Amino acid sequence: MVDHKLERTLSPVYPKMKMISDTLANSIAIIILAGVFWLYYYFAWPTWAFWVLIALLAFTVAGTLWSFVEPELLYRSWSYQWNDEYLQLSYGVLKKEWVTLPMTKIQSVSTVQGPLMKRYNTRSVKVETMGSSYTIPGLNEGTALSLREVIAEYAKLKEVDE
Amino acid sequence: MMRYHPLTILFHIYNLVKNSAFIAILLFVVNRESDLWLFEYGRYAFLAIILWRFIYIILSWFFEQYHWKNQAFHMRKGIFVKTSSTIPFSRVQNVTKKTTVFHKLFGLTSLSLDTTMEGEGESIYFAVVSKQHADFLVDLVQEAAKEKKTTQEEDIRQSEIDSVQGAVEHEEGHPQKNECVIHFTADKKDLIKASFTSLSFLAIIPISFVVYDYLQSFLPGEDEMEGVFQTVVGSVWLIVTIVASALVIAVGFGVIRTFIRYGNFRISSDNRHIYIDKGVLDESYFAIEKRKVQGLEITQSLMKRIFGLAEVKIISSTSRPEGGNEQADINSLYPFLPVKEAYRLIEEILPEYRSDAELNKLPTISLWVKLLEPSWLWIVSTIALVYFKPDFFQIQQIWWIVIIVLFCLVVLQRVLDYKHTKYAVIDDQVQWWNGGLSTKMFMTKRKNMIGMTYSQTKLQGYFGVASLTAMNRSTPVRVEVINDIPFSFALQMETWYLNRSKEIEITGK
Repeated sequence: MVDHKLERTLSPVYPKMKMISDTLANSIAIIILAGVFWLYYYFAWPTWAFWVLIALLAFTVAGTLWSFVEPELLYRSWSYQWNDEYLQLSYGVLKKEWVTLPMTKIQSVSTVQGPLMKRYNTRSVKVETMGSSYTIPGLNEGTALSLREVIAEYAKLKEVDE
Repeated sequence: MMRYHPLTILFHIYNLVKNSAFIAILLFVVNRESDLWLFEYGRYAFLAIILWRFIYIILSWFFEQYHWKNQAFHMRKGIFVKTSSTIPFSRVQNVTKKTTVFHKLFGLTSLSLDTTMEGEGESIYFAVVSKQHADFLVDLVQEAAKEKKTTQEEDIRQSEIDSVQGAVEHEEGHPQKNECVIHFTADKKDLIKASFTSLSFLAIIPISFVVYDYLQSFLPGEDEMEGVFQTVVGSVWLIVTIVASALVIAVGFGVIRTFIRYGNFRISSDNRHIYIDKGVLDESYFAIEKRKVQGLEITQSLMKRIFGLAEVKIISSTSRPEGGNEQADINSLYPFLPVKEAYRLIEEILPEYRSDAELNKLPTISLWVKLLEPSWLWIVSTIALVYFKPDFFQIQQIWWIVIIVLFCLVVLQRVLDYKHTKYAVIDDQVQWWNGGLSTKMFMTKRKNMIGMTYSQTKLQGYFGVASLTAMNRSTPVRVEVINDIPFSFALQMETWYLNRSKEIEITGK
């Protein structure tokens, strides 16, 4: 695997934060599944429903196990950098992606913060271009806000041919 | 404020009749006797809708108006929900004139000015307009574009086009007609070849089914038909005659269809626009500004490759106006060009695009990556086939034959894709070919790419190859991918892309 790292990384609290939020989500999923299993027994649903539920359970358990490993890997895989002209991102665990976006082609930028992110003083930055959107998850609050300002400033500029 | 041409009402009514004829026949002729609730209430609903549309068409002519002022069109639309929109001339990307048989009858035409804007109410469509007025409107828009251009001094790209085409330099403030050069006209030989590649003669099959279905009620009953069938099979000569005449009709049908659609095809350009004229019964005229071309595409289906033909398409940032129907292939330069001709045409019309690049082939390692990649299509269908074990055509063991055939097809597709994939970068231009049974070439300029990504799956990482994605402005955004190129080339492409600032001018400080 060729390593092609960019300058900046996510906030170091990101893996911990993601693990907590993933575990919460997975716990809720398992509780809901347990509820559906109860419905299955109570209303005596047909047998095929049982196999569907078993499959769902298997997926959820696999997802839960993965969510203990993924945050750290994702954190290590993420890097980004910017200058006056380009924003570059690099991320991905199973499939690694490197994205180069000209600042002039960015149409909007916003920051997002959920309750858990607030607790850890982080924000994600969401960048939208004409056809796609990219989110840099879990940046330090200060970094996220200044990045938003920078991108907003450069994104104001437009190329002549538009 | 101006109203649309009064015949717009008639045109819309004509379209209404044309589009609802099928349902009307279904409701009032074919199922006349049926008292199924669907047909019973359907008839009333149908009449109500037709009546409503009829009133709407007439009212809308009184309410919908347009005018132009300060380099922009102002449109007023709607009867109950009114929208008024302002569309600057500079937003107009390309111009389409379409003269259907209806228009010809009255010596009129239709005009649509396509914009980059998305959403309803952002299109400028004149369903019926006199030819003079259409030309006037087109001039209005194109002159505006010209003026805007001349005020932007030192436009490198434009001067490039001028110098290559050897056109006269235009003086500022004196808009002058550029010389229009004809690059291509379809000749008969091309058209006959074209009618075979498009397989449009196969269209006779569904049509003959419909005709048979219709005639069935007049034909003698089933038993007598069987008798006819027996006699037919009994006589070899009769079969030969029937098959031969069916073939002649089918081919003749295909040729006529192609001639009607692509006859009178002409591609011309001056140093600012590309013009495409086509059609025999329904004529259409299409103009696109050269600097709005975002990229080019050459596609070859299997049939076209056998005949050595290709289709050249322009990638442009245009959205379709709601009224401009069946314009799906409007960006196609010509669907049946001999490959060499295609390259010549590109170089002539868009001299900044080069087609002399030496293309690189994929390294052998890429073939392994392509073959090792799991095929989800094959896996899923294999599981389904093994589980259900269906027997098509009363053959018991066919399911595993299907699995093997499918597997061979997947492998063939991948091997062909490996063979067809070629890529090159020269100056500020990137281009690549790929595809299995049908192939495609994509070509763009660095300044027209709105983003670039490259990616690597674990498998690709192991073999040191990567996939590259180019994004171009179009509606929707055009995403082109080339798979399994050497990783070093991906890195080279990134550096190349980072140098795009050389070609762009930035405004809005």
